[in-house]
Amino acid sequence: MTDTTLAAPKPVSPSTQAWRMFRQNHAAVLGLAILLAIIVISLAGPFIYTVAPREMVWMPLTPPGQSEYVLGTDYLGRDLLAGLINGGRVTLAVGFTAALITVAIGITVGALAGFFGGRVDNLLMRVTEFFQVLPNLLFAMVVVMLFGADLLNISIAIGIVSWTSTARLTRAEFMRIREMDFVKAERSIGAANGRLIWKVILPNAAPPLIVVSALSIGTAILFEAGLSFLGLSDPNTTSWGRMIGDNRPYILDSPWGVTFPGLCIFLTVLAISLIGDGMNDAFNPKLRER
Amino acid sequence: MTAPLLSVRNLEIAFRSGRDDIPVVRDLSFDLGAGETLGIVGESGCGKSITALSLLGLVPSPPGRVTRGQILFQGEDLVQAGERRLNEVRGNEISMVFQEPMTSLNPVYTIGEQIAETARVHFGLSRAKAWARAVEMLSLVGIPSPNRRAHDYPHQLSGGMRQRVMIAIALVCEPKILIADEPTTALDVTVQAQIFDLFNDLRRDFGAAIILITHDIGVVAQMTDRVMVMYAGRKIEEGPVADFVRDPRHPYTSGLVSCIPRLTMPPSDDPEPLFEIPGVVPAPRDLNRPGCPFAPRCARVMPRCRDENPGLEPLAPGRMVACWQEQEVAA
Amino acid sequence: MLQGTLNRLVNAAILLVAVLVLNFTLIHIAPGDPVEAIVGEMGGATPEMIAQMRAQYGLDQPFIVQIGTYLGNVLTGDLGMSTYYSRPVTGLIAERIGATLLLVVTALLVALILGTVLGVFSARKRRSVLSHLVTVIALAGFSAPVFWVGIMLILLLSVSIPLLPISGMTSSSADLTGIAHVLDVLHHLVLPALTLATIYLAFYSRLSRASMLEVLGSDYIRTARAKGLPQRMVIYKHALRNAILPVVTFAGLQFGQLISGAVLVETVFAWPGLGTLAFESILRRDTPTLLGILFFSSMMVVVMNLLTDVVYRLVDPRIQAR
Repeated sequence: MTDTTLAAPKPVSPSTQAWRMFRQNHAAVLGLAILLAIIVISLAGPFIYTVAPREMVWMPLTPPGQSEYVLGTDYLGRDLLAGLINGGRVTLAVGFTAALITVAIGITVGALAGFFGGRVDNLLMRVTEFFQVLPNLLFAMVVVMLFGADLLNISIAIGIVSWTSTARLTRAEFMRIREMDFVKAERSIGAANGRLIWKVILPNAAPPLIVVSALSIGTAILFEAGLSFLGLSDPNTTSWGRMIGDNRPYILDSPWGVTFPGLCIFLTVLAISLIGDGMNDAFNPKLRER
Repeated sequence: MTAPLLSVRNLEIAFRSGRDDIPVVRDLSFDLGAGETLGIVGESGCGKSITALSLLGLVPSPPGRVTRGQILFQGEDLVQAGERRLNEVRGNEISMVFQEPMTSLNPVYTIGEQIAETARVHFGLSRAKAWARAVEMLSLVGIPSPNRRAHDYPHQLSGGMRQRVMIAIALVCEPKILIADEPTTALDVTVQAQIFDLFNDLRRDFGAAIILITHDIGVVAQMTDRVMVMYAGRKIEEGPVADFVRDPRHPYTSGLVSCIPRLTMPPSDDPEPLFEIPGVVPAPRDLNRPGCPFAPRCARVMPRCRDENPGLEPLAPGRMVACWQEQEVAA
Repeated sequence: MLQGTLNRLVNAAILLVAVLVLNFTLIHIAPGDPVEAIVGEMGGATPEMIAQMRAQYGLDQPFIVQIGTYLGNVLTGDLGMSTYYSRPVTGLIAERIGATLLLVVTALLVALILGTVLGVFSARKRRSVLSHLVTVIALAGFSAPVFWVGIMLILLLSVSIPLLPISGMTSSSADLTGIAHVLDVLHHLVLPALTLATIYLAFYSRLSRASMLEVLGSDYIRTARAKGLPQRMVIYKHALRNAILPVVTFAGLQFGQLISGAVLVETVFAWPGLGTLAFESILRRDTPTLLGILFFSSMMVVVMNLLTDVVYRLVDPRIQAR
């Protein structure tokens, strides 16, 4: 294999090239389309479909297609479609916020550990190890129960139990790139640590971190769903996970109240996974063979 | 003349890239007699290693495959042979030592086991007998206290020692052909010399024919009987080693030969700069254009070289070259 | 080697103490304290009674003294009293742990074995149907909420086709003993274990496939082929043992998440383990019980990590040298 050198294509910027690769990946483009559709429906939907999601509007447990409420109603006679449209907002908001917190903590810890190494690394890795030992859902349950189930607390709880893998990845990338010649060159002309970390190394570590960040949105959405399924959600809001939890005792009378919100979560996370895979392939063309 | 042990005829190996097959080895023919040592020389990327792998049916596939030609081993075409037959040949009649001793041994098994299993598979030896044979081989390749060392794992050995183990694996079934692909490139200079001494000893003891692949002309001059030079997937010169070093014909070969720094030169305050060939080996994809592939880098290029690719023409018995200039001079 | 083991044990102990300190700090800084909760339950109390109760619970002591007392208690196996059951949390956990272990270990084994098999087969035949199937399973398993998968499986395999029980660990109607009891439990175990295994099956099959592909491209596999070893020896002797290492590591590291998954799955299937207890503790605002479960699960994770380490050492000789 080492004996083959193929002609280099015309030089284009890495991001343009990555976008071209991404566009060729049909699954990833489909994922992007699904995700955009879900975001648009969640943001604009409540203004177009104005049925109140938390009020009894019809006979409880009406199956789909038997009333003006096309997807039917839940055990309290609430419109399922309205619930799905409004629940998407909460799910997405928590998902994105929690992912942001995850990535912020993960990259900071990983970057510091990987860049400074030695004692700093040792200490930060101990902290990371500690958070890895805590079963993440149980810990998040404790935090939400003690501090109250509002959307911000839930996002924070998800963030602080999810950042460890991002931190480990960032650390590994930083340790690898730290030893590269261009970093040594910057260092030799006296670049400050802050500049080295954020302006020199981080941009070069970006591709895998972007992929992991995207995927962490999906993980956070699943996590939020799990918490609200267990009843740990803001009592004043509707989310997909909560809908599943609320309707679970009635699956024998009407499986729809559980099936639809689950499908929504599944589709959203699937879309994000497809996008993440697509980005991964686009950044690492060599791995495409796999 | 009896039939050679190995005879490669018009071999073409191609790699699939998108919808195209890009040949990386073209129209390659050579012979190897029993007990002979053949050197294959060229820069990286010229198709040496892939040729070596093809002799064992180990061209990574996909994307690579042999697209044309024959590999006749004792008259049998290995290109057509099935996996089962190839497994009988590999490690038993033709074996190979690779360039990377650090990664070529399995990290989770002892070196004794890695030698012994080869003997078990090919000779059907019992565990105990195969182990004894492995220890014997370790001793033959110059590893001290082989009884104890056989229980070591690869990571406990240095690069040179690991390469000795690789050689032990290759020779445990007393093969007819040993292929060594840059066996010392990854090692220190002193260790390199030891490994080549070992090759010389073993060649005497085992009588195997050796194909030595290298980019080091010095090694070729010291180790081989006959040399074949490859450039961009083709053979461009072949001949006995003495002629080759003393009187290289192809401009590329003379370039390679002049690249060796000579220790015999008197020390001087103003040493001659080391010779180097300008440019790089062209990419296989660029080889479909007409003309001699070396023309862009050739100091003695003629107009004809850019339009027509010279074929291999014999200059003397056992000596051939693919160069318009040499052929015109000879004609 | 002995030194390494000792270091690892000390490290594990430090981690557990850290979990306890975190537990305690969380209760301390969380709004409201246990006495207020009890007073709320009683419907009010005089300031003297509140002060007396505070003294009784040690809440009037300085933070550092309280934490010392707490650590001392835990060392003697006392994780506090459940505010709902008015019984020691340790006892509650002891009653439930068996069910959880049965579920988690079964799911882990199923996922590991099946995941590795799928991964290896799909790595060998990259363009085959099976290979694509692994990709799809992995993607779907990663994207579906595990509790929803559980409910869907109930709808499919207990309601539509009534093959398996909907919930619980035993049939309440029959009072079975011996073999019949074991079979009954196993019958109840199938669905929850299958559900919990799904997500991890997704992880492991994908991971072992990637790992196998990497190993198959390595130099020592080329050596094994060049030696003329038959294909099955190359795959199962030389490749698999190396390819399984990342999977084992990953399985060990992910054990905490397996427990998290178990909380959800137990809740769905009313499996009488720690997860259901945790869920009930939330409903009953039973903080000591929830914290006890958190500590106990962390302990299981630490033990699991130590075990993973042992397995890793058995498989990979390089580790002992480090």
